[in-house]
Amino acid sequence: MESSDEEDVVKYRVHLRPITLRNAAPATLHFLPCEIPVNRPAPVERFFTPAIRQGPRGLEVSFRGRSLRGEEVEVPPSLVGYVMRMEEKGEVSGKQDFPEGSEDEEEQELLEPPEALERDFDRFMGASASFSRFTVWGLETIPGPDAKVRAALTWPSLAAAIHAPVQED
Amino acid sequence: MAGRGDCGDGAGARQHVFLLPEYLKDASKKMKSGLMFVKLVNPCLGEGALYLFNMCPQQLFEIKVFKEKHHSWFINQSVQSGGLLHLATPMDPLFLLLYYLQKADKEGKFQPLDQVVVDDVFPDCILLLKLPELEKLLQHVTEEKVNPEIDKKKYYKYSKEKTLKWLEKKVNQTMAALKTNHINVGARVQSSAFFSSHQVSSDKEEDYICYAHGLISDYIPKELSDDLAKHLKLPEPSASMPNPPTKKVKLSDEPVEAKEDYTKFNTKDLKTEKKNSKMTAAQKALAKVDKSGMKSGSTKTEKEQVTADPHKAWLLLMSLKTLPEGSGFFFCVLENHQMPKDVHIC
Repeated sequence: MESSDEEDVVKYRVHLRPITLRNAAPATLHFLPCEIPVNRPAPVERFFTPAIRQGPRGLEVSFRGRSLRGEEVEVPPSLVGYVMRMEEKGEVSGKQDFPEGSEDEEEQELLEPPEALERDFDRFMGASASFSRFTVWGLETIPGPDAKVRAALTWPSLAAAIHAPVQED
Repeated sequence: MAGRGDCGDGAGARQHVFLLPEYLKDASKKMKSGLMFVKLVNPCLGEGALYLFNMCPQQLFEIKVFKEKHHSWFINQSVQSGGLLHLATPMDPLFLLLYYLQKADKEGKFQPLDQVVVDDVFPDCILLLKLPELEKLLQHVTEEKVNPEIDKKKYYKYSKEKTLKWLEKKVNQTMAALKTNHINVGARVQSSAFFSSHQVSSDKEEDYICYAHGLISDYIPKELSDDLAKHLKLPEPSASMPNPPTKKVKLSDEPVEAKEDYTKFNTKDLKTEKKNSKMTAAQKALAKVDKSGMKSGSTKTEKEQVTADPHKAWLLLMSLKTLPEGSGFFFCVLENHQMPKDVHIC
């Protein structure tokens, strides 16, 4: 499956619909310290969110019988968090087909495709939601300043230095 | 549809968590063209990696993926497995051009850029030719010729000498950014250091340059990375250390191993490693090396160029922990997007 995915990228460019970056509604994200091997709707607001308490040292919640401690982490300045979805293959030929009513606006944009960059068989992605912070949860303990995900969030500032143009002589 | 079945049904639709530069959102207002994910070469490994390309204004973004084992996302009223976080950051396209220039240099002649940047495996590499200010960029790594009698086209040839100078500047500006992070973490680092303050500062200088060299090495072929190490007069691991660190191997040949090392490193061994890392064999060896040829990384220009966020105090701690190993922390936590099975943007 992996190799077929790789072939796909060469064959099908994946376009990110720019307009979805503006229209994405804010989302609530929790970064959980456990594997949940499924991707599907879940009643987070019914069972998880109401159980969150503000403890003396950060947020607390019980999940699957385990105690989690959490804290909010901000997305670094000048960055925005997005949740992206790949559109169904049926939607890919969206220049002709209109997949869902809510995406009509995007289709309008697509009526002016950028030259030959978009090809009929290309695939499309869009941002379904945006976020500027998320909650990082640790098992039993607060993730704290050493949380690996925090380290990942500093990458953009370091990358900026690595990739900045060099000073001319 | 084969191979995408799990992505196809609505209930199992994968969601990808991304961080993008905010200005991409604003640019979309006037943008007639778009953003697209393309597979281009990873200039260090020669393998494919995922990049994001903005068509207007044309800009290349590297995509790194943060992976942490045993993590998942709750996204609104849904659950997403894998716990991946994708970070798209602007990338200097010269690293990619350099890859092709070096490759073309085997023919040993001046060539127009559109004959240099060709790739059967990653045909989208021609997008690089559309990037702005290429001529200015290419000056850093090539000799150029123009034949005004024929056309105005420029012909380029890879210059190792110029490239090493350019890479040295890259190392220096990266080092400066690492140091900017240091400023805010000084107290914490010193409180746990075994060294006297003098030793700390003199050792760090080398640590920083090695670390910065490691970061830059992630964007250049191994051979060039070795040349750069010589150019920077970095200590040669095999010559000066009783136990040669596997840095080079990890950086270029076995990045996956580096990731696994890190995982190990940050679970139960975390606390002991933190202390021990202050004085490893590698660092002792570094301290013995003749430093007279070492470049100082704190010139005015570098300070001016620093764009790093000064609030990430723990970055240095992380760097210090991994410095004796040589392979930087980011190699372990972040990797160029190699399209793991569970990611379907590709």
